[in-house]
Amino acid sequence: MTIDFGRLRGHLMLGTAALVCVFPIYWLFATSLRRPGDVYSLAPVPWPLSLANYSDASEKVDLLGLLGNTFAVALASSTAQLLIALLASYAFAMYTFRFQKVLYLAFVGTWLVPFQVTMLPNYVLLYQLGLINTLAGVVMPTLCSALAVLLLRQHMAGFPKELISAARLDGRSSWSILWTVVVPNLRPALAALSILLFINSWNEYFWPAVVLQRSNAVLQLGLRSFMGTEGTDWGPMMAVAGMACLPVFLLYVVLQRHIVDAFVRSGLK
Amino acid sequence: MTGVFVVVEDPPNAAVDTVAGVETVDTGKHALQTRWTRLVRSAQPYLYLTPAVALLIIWTYRPLAQAAELSTYSWNLLPTTPMVPVGSANYRRLLELPDVADSLWRTVVLILGLLPFSLILPVIVAFATRSVSGRARVIYQSLIFAPFLIAPVAGAAVWQWLLDPGAGIVNRILGSDRNWIQDADTAQFVIIVITGWHFLGFAVLVVSAGMAGVDTSYQEAARMDGASNSQIDRWIVLPLLSPTLVFLALMTVLLSAQWTFPLIDTLTQGGPSRSTTNIYYLLWDYGFRTFDAGLSAAAGIVLFVGFGAIAGGLVWLSEKVAFHDD
Repeated sequence: MTIDFGRLRGHLMLGTAALVCVFPIYWLFATSLRRPGDVYSLAPVPWPLSLANYSDASEKVDLLGLLGNTFAVALASSTAQLLIALLASYAFAMYTFRFQKVLYLAFVGTWLVPFQVTMLPNYVLLYQLGLINTLAGVVMPTLCSALAVLLLRQHMAGFPKELISAARLDGRSSWSILWTVVVPNLRPALAALSILLFINSWNEYFWPAVVLQRSNAVLQLGLRSFMGTEGTDWGPMMAVAGMACLPVFLLYVVLQRHIVDAFVRSGLK
Repeated sequence: MTGVFVVVEDPPNAAVDTVAGVETVDTGKHALQTRWTRLVRSAQPYLYLTPAVALLIIWTYRPLAQAAELSTYSWNLLPTTPMVPVGSANYRRLLELPDVADSLWRTVVLILGLLPFSLILPVIVAFATRSVSGRARVIYQSLIFAPFLIAPVAGAAVWQWLLDPGAGIVNRILGSDRNWIQDADTAQFVIIVITGWHFLGFAVLVVSAGMAGVDTSYQEAARMDGASNSQIDRWIVLPLLSPTLVFLALMTVLLSAQWTFPLIDTLTQGGPSRSTTNIYYLLWDYGFRTFDAGLSAAAGIVLFVGFGAIAGGLVWLSEKVAFHDD
């Protein structure tokens, strides 16, 4: 009896927490799917459904273009992060070398440097490179992810050393060991990490806001252009917000287990 | 790259072979070869690290050094105007400006306000999930986690809609017409709640993972000694979770800048009457709005040093005070 009571209390608490967490997301999509005349309705279920808000939004901003740009930026940035982190973590996990500790701390230390501290010199550099108001300028500063390096190093440190030394005895170079032994065996971890990196880049706001000052070429900024004015057009705004979340949610629904694992592992150093 | 490793090993062999012919040279050749392979091998880790380290230097440490330099100049960011060296004047201005002290205080309030969402609630929720069985637990956890995946700007947009003074559902349910976001009394609170909403699910998962890692033999031993469930939670599980909790606290301190920036920039731009201007937003403001690059850089350097001290302190704390399993 007492156990049942405890379980009931657990369900009640978790149910409330889950409801509070999910409601804003539900309301976002619900509003975006109402007919433009129904946007102010408090009816819990949007009915009849309508895509009018989405077509309204695409008249004001180039929704498909924004989606494409955001996708390109996120893909370029996360692919580069993955490759660069793969090489760096390979060095940390498979070798002992001088300055290893110092170099490792250099990666950890990036957590201590808030972007507001480095933004001015970086802005000046991007300006000198002529990358202001270009998508390349958004990608460039994000190419190295310290998080990815630290996570992958963790994975590689747990990699069976016998496999490596066996491959080395076969006379393979370290480069071919990386691609033929390490990478195939780390595939699950690499997949999880690349999803995580992709979602992070997709949601990135700071660099686009700094670099793309004149154009709103990615979704996050396109959405911003709907905000902040009096008499906001809520329906189309929720439609753009929905578009900004939809790809990530689709990924989440399909790969839920992997994503949760990846994020949790990232939380446990 | 494959070529690099093969090619660099070959030339010395070839070079020595042409000179070779006598037996003594042959051993010399071996020595040279092993020295060369050793050299190549010891260079390998640095080669693998080169892209990452180069990027770190370009985008993090070079600008950090440059910010330190910039902090001793007066400059308005325009390439055409010269930078005027001013020594430590920027730092002295920092001490005198009331904005800085105010925004620092607001940052402390922000971080303290976030801790319930990143520490207390996650612990409560994680303890509660234990009483719920497998499938339901996964569903609850993934629902609570969902806001973490929402783009910050989209989160800001939907909360702006929920909290709209006239048409927003919150005010219509409460029957009020409060302008939560544009009211200096509630704006900071709104930012804290939205950030907490984003982060809660992640913190819950981290705490749950930490709990799964706690050795259950302690709990069984305590139960044999007649301890109640709540006693076990309070005196055994919670202390063993302390490394996880210190980690979450560290994350809250270090990352609150990144999490709140998109919200503040899209919802309040630091207002109303500066009530949401924390120190990070003030830096942004100095840099890109009032174009006071020197002052912004000086504040950034002070912030960096402060960060380092706090992080060092928390790491020290986690090693000294935290209970370890072993």
